[in-house]
Amino acid sequence: MAQLPILVVEDDGLIRMDLADVLGDSGFTVLEAANADQALVILETQTTVSAMLTDIDMPGSMNGIKLANLTASRWPDCKIIVISGRYSPDQGSLPEGARFLSKPISERLLGATLAEMGIEATT
Amino acid sequence: MALETNPECRRLCNEFDWDTASVGPVDGWSVELRTLVNVMLGSLQPMLIVWGPSQTTLYNDGYAAMCGHRHPAAFGRPFGELWHDIWDQVEPIISAAFAGQGTSMEDIEFVMHRNGYPEETHFAFSYTPVRDPWGTVLGMFCACTEQTATVAERKAERTLRERFEQVFELSPGGIALLGGPDHVFEYANEVYYSMIGTDREIIGKTVADAVSEVVRQGYIDILDGVYRTGEPFVAKNLEIELNRGTAGEKQNRVIDLVYQPMREDDGTVSGILVQALDVTDLRAEQQKQELLSHELGHRLKNQLAMIQAIASQTLRNSPDLASARLRLSDRIGVLSAAHDTILLGGVGASTVNQLVEQIISTHDDPANPRITVSGTRVKVGSRPSLSLSLILHELATNATKFGALSEPDGRVSIRWMVTGPKSDRFELIWSESGGPPVAQPETLGSGMRLINAGLNGTSDSTVEFSYPPDGLVCVIGADLDGFQQEH
Repeated sequence: MAQLPILVVEDDGLIRMDLADVLGDSGFTVLEAANADQALVILETQTTVSAMLTDIDMPGSMNGIKLANLTASRWPDCKIIVISGRYSPDQGSLPEGARFLSKPISERLLGATLAEMGIEATT
Repeated sequence: MALETNPECRRLCNEFDWDTASVGPVDGWSVELRTLVNVMLGSLQPMLIVWGPSQTTLYNDGYAAMCGHRHPAAFGRPFGELWHDIWDQVEPIISAAFAGQGTSMEDIEFVMHRNGYPEETHFAFSYTPVRDPWGTVLGMFCACTEQTATVAERKAERTLRERFEQVFELSPGGIALLGGPDHVFEYANEVYYSMIGTDREIIGKTVADAVSEVVRQGYIDILDGVYRTGEPFVAKNLEIELNRGTAGEKQNRVIDLVYQPMREDDGTVSGILVQALDVTDLRAEQQKQELLSHELGHRLKNQLAMIQAIASQTLRNSPDLASARLRLSDRIGVLSAAHDTILLGGVGASTVNQLVEQIISTHDDPANPRITVSGTRVKVGSRPSLSLSLILHELATNATKFGALSEPDGRVSIRWMVTGPKSDRFELIWSESGGPPVAQPETLGSGMRLINAGLNGTSDSTVEFSYPPDGLVCVIGADLDGFQQEH
């Protein structure tokens, strides 16, 4: 069974690269976007994305919070994790079911969060 | 035996040659004059008699002290000789007394030497006409009361009050005194005026009249409460609307406020002391500080995330732990040096040139320079400057290991420019020559991967490698906006 990819949206190339490597090591297929606009193009052209990990502060037409809300309304099956170096976002600003992780991300916590959300790599 | 009063003037009076004086010998004195002289010489109060048309002057020891060095010569002489220097002031009242009109003076100042040094003294006088039984004015009798102590006390009180007023004026906070149950302004210092609006007239008016905009904001109710209960009111960070603009337009301020009841001796509240501190700017400054520390926390976490990614990439792509440790410490060192450049120049002031110089200083030999540099002064934001330093470091490390800098004749050229049809792109070209023959590597080492991550903080960063026979060429580009923006 083909595994559905995870989309990583992060403007910092180094962090995005490392996040992709970490997820790749865990057996996930990873798609990368440097901002919300690139992410939307991927979401619209890919048939299904199992989950999206997005940073909040990014250049481009919208930030990660807007992207998370838009994604939740258009692709309700896509699980969402929001990541930021800022303090946790205001209550209610994230779509229902979305999770927040603080930067720098612990690899262990990321793994646990993905598992809790039911996102698992097929082996 | 009781001590004799006024010994000096008593002796003077006894020994005076009255026979030749205009009041005549003592035997011929009227009963009025005798009586008054007796009273005068028996009194501890300073007393003065001015008698007859010649205005002959008699006085006791108390009065003698006021005369200073004019005593004893003045005794028995016309009054005008004694006070010749202030006669224009004395003449009208002595003439009035002789015309039957008494005068009372509250506070006359004398410098007296009674204690061996010049001393300011104050006396109250009353000039009383003395008549014979038929009503004719015979002379004038004057009793004096020393007021020095009372005057000094009043003066001390006044000085104290003036000092308090000065303290009030110098106070950094606004101070006002309100009197009575209607809270009438009795006093307000400059700071208070500048807080409510400089040109407003408030003294003598009630708060409700003078600063009417506070009525609907509930402040009169609070004042009433303090007046009624005697309980002070203390509050911080009150938002208040005051018509304090130059044209009386309303402005919002934040104040710390204290209403303190002022009491009479019997304990009843008679007024309220208002202390108000305009903390609008202070609170704004504190909010700015808070925002700044949030921002610092945010940056710190982002940089930790960057270090985490670099550490992870280094460990992931190194052949062994020893070389990983060395590479990691080099990379963190480069970031630290780039930070120094950012901080030294002031945020937003670092230039590509500074970052390039920094890398050259660790990878080139000044005695035998092999890296040439050319480029205009281009400013670079702090996020891209960290990535650019790291990229240059990785390129230089790579060149030293495998590229042009691994052979004595190899050269590196670093050029950068603002480019693009709209001059809205930054481009840096790293080109190597004179090194070993180049070929595209089959796998990307950790250094190459870090370079490929591009320039942080830019929205459109590109990294392109090409491998012409002469040597490796790397072109790094980014949108100029993002490249120069301070995040």
